[in-house]
Amino acid sequence: MTTYRTILRTSACIVGCTLASQTFAGSAHAAGVLAGTLIENTATATYTSGASGGTVTSNKVTVKVDELLNVAVATLTSAPASASSAPAVLSWSVTNSGNGPEAFNLTADPKVSGNAFDGTITSIVIDTNDNGIYDAGVDQVLGAGAATPSIDPDKEVKVFVLVSLPAGATDAATSQVRLTASATTGTGTPGTSFSGKGEGGGDAVVGLTTASANSLAALVASLANVTLVKSASILDQFGTAKPVPGATVTYTLAAKITGSGVAEGVHVTDAIPAGTTYVPGSLKLDGSGLTDGADADAGSAGSAGVDVALGKVSGGSTRTVNFAVTIN
Amino acid sequence: MNAKLLTLAASFAILAAGPAFAAPASPVSLVGGVKLEKTVTENGAQKTVLSEPKVVVPGDRLLFSTDYRNDGAVPVTNFVVTNPLPSAVTLAPEAAASTEVSVDGGKTWGKLADAKVSDGKGGLRAATTADVTHVRWTIAAIAAGGSGTVGYHAIVR
Repeated sequence: MTTYRTILRTSACIVGCTLASQTFAGSAHAAGVLAGTLIENTATATYTSGASGGTVTSNKVTVKVDELLNVAVATLTSAPASASSAPAVLSWSVTNSGNGPEAFNLTADPKVSGNAFDGTITSIVIDTNDNGIYDAGVDQVLGAGAATPSIDPDKEVKVFVLVSLPAGATDAATSQVRLTASATTGTGTPGTSFSGKGEGGGDAVVGLTTASANSLAALVASLANVTLVKSASILDQFGTAKPVPGATVTYTLAAKITGSGVAEGVHVTDAIPAGTTYVPGSLKLDGSGLTDGADADAGSAGSAGVDVALGKVSGGSTRTVNFAVTIN
Repeated sequence: MNAKLLTLAASFAILAAGPAFAAPASPVSLVGGVKLEKTVTENGAQKTVLSEPKVVVPGDRLLFSTDYRNDGAVPVTNFVVTNPLPSAVTLAPEAAASTEVSVDGGKTWGKLADAKVSDGKGGLRAATTADVTHVRWTIAAIAAGGSGTVGYHAIVR
C-alpha cells in the first residue's frame, strides 16, 4: 500500500515543472458569463477495492445563468456645445454592462438645477453609423418614448440630443441636460427579479447599477446683438455747420454687433427725412461707395430711403453706413 | 510486487488520459449537487443560507458538492474524487487555499500558491483562482457502508 502511494506521489509534479497554460474556453465578458449559459458539473472518483481498482462517475448537475440587467451612461461632449439659431448637439454613450442583449429607454431632461435657462429638446438621435458625428438624415431619430435598438452585452451605442434655445436666452448663458437610460426589461433595487424575462428563458435580475444610469452634458447660448447708433454732421455752403437750406447733412449709421454668436440677415435701413433730398451717389458702406440702384452690391438708395444688406455679421464687429442729404 | 505496480500505473494512466466511465457494479456511488449560497443579515447577525439555484447571475456564489458512499462489503482505499471546474465559474479564494488543485487540465496537482502558468510571453507567472481547472480530494479509506461529502465554493464569472 505504502509503496503504491509513494510512487503515485512522485509521478505528480507541481514545483519545478513546465506547465502548459490552460486557456479559459468560454464566453468571457467584463459583464459576466452570458445569460442562458449552462454551468454543468460531473465528478469522477478512482479507488482501490481489495486487489483491483475502479472508477465511478457522478450524475451531472446543471445550472442556467440568468440575465443581469446593468447599464452605464457617459457624457461624450467635453466642452459646452453651442446653440444659436441651430440647436446644440450633445452626445453620450450608453453601454450595456449586463450579460444579455437589452434595449434601453432614453429620456432627456432639460430642467436641471442651476440652469440659466432650460433648453427645448428638439430630438433624440441614435448614432446609427457610429462615427461620433450627428449626420442628419442618416442617424436614426427616436420617436417620443421609443427605446434604443437592442444592445449586446459589453457593447455601446452613441446618442445625440439636439437642444434649441428658448426665447429670451442671453448670450453665453449655460444650461445642462440630463440623459437617463433604463433597461426596457425593468429597473429597481438590485436583486429585483423579473420572472421569465431573461435572455435564454430564465429570469432577468436587476444588477448593482439598478439597470438605470444618467449623466449631464452642457450647452451654451451663442447669440449676437445688434445696436444701431445714428449721428449726423452738417456742412453748409459757407463752410460752417448751420442747418440752413442748401446745407448738406451727412448721416452715419453704425451697426455694432456684440456677443459670441453671428447675426444673420442684417439690414441697415433709414428714411430720407422730410424737407431734405437724398444726395445721389453718397451711399457708402465702411467707407466704400455703393451704387444707388438695386443691383449686385449691398445697398440701394433714393428718395424712398436707403437699404444696405450686411448679411451674416459676427459678434465683435461694427459696420458703418453713410449717406448724405441736402436741406431743401 | 512488480506486477501490482504495473497494474496500478496502467490504470492510473488510463484514468488521467480522459473522462472516466462508470465501471459495472461499482461498490461506490457518487452523487453530485449544487446549491446557491447567499449571506443574509438576520437580527444584526450574518447568516449563510443555501438554496436551490433557481436564479443565478454573474457574481453569485455556488457550492458544488459530491456525496460518496461505499455500498460494498470491503473497505475502499485511496479514494480520489476529481471535479473539473465548469468554464463559467472560478474557484472561490478561500477554497483555493485549502484544496488540492490543478491548473493544467488535471495533469499535475498541488496547492494553488505553488502553481505557475505560462504568462503568454514565454515566461511563467503565479497562477490565480481563475486558472484552476480541476479540484480533487484524496480519502485514504472508506469503510464498508461508510459515506461522506466533499465540496467546493465557486463564483459565477
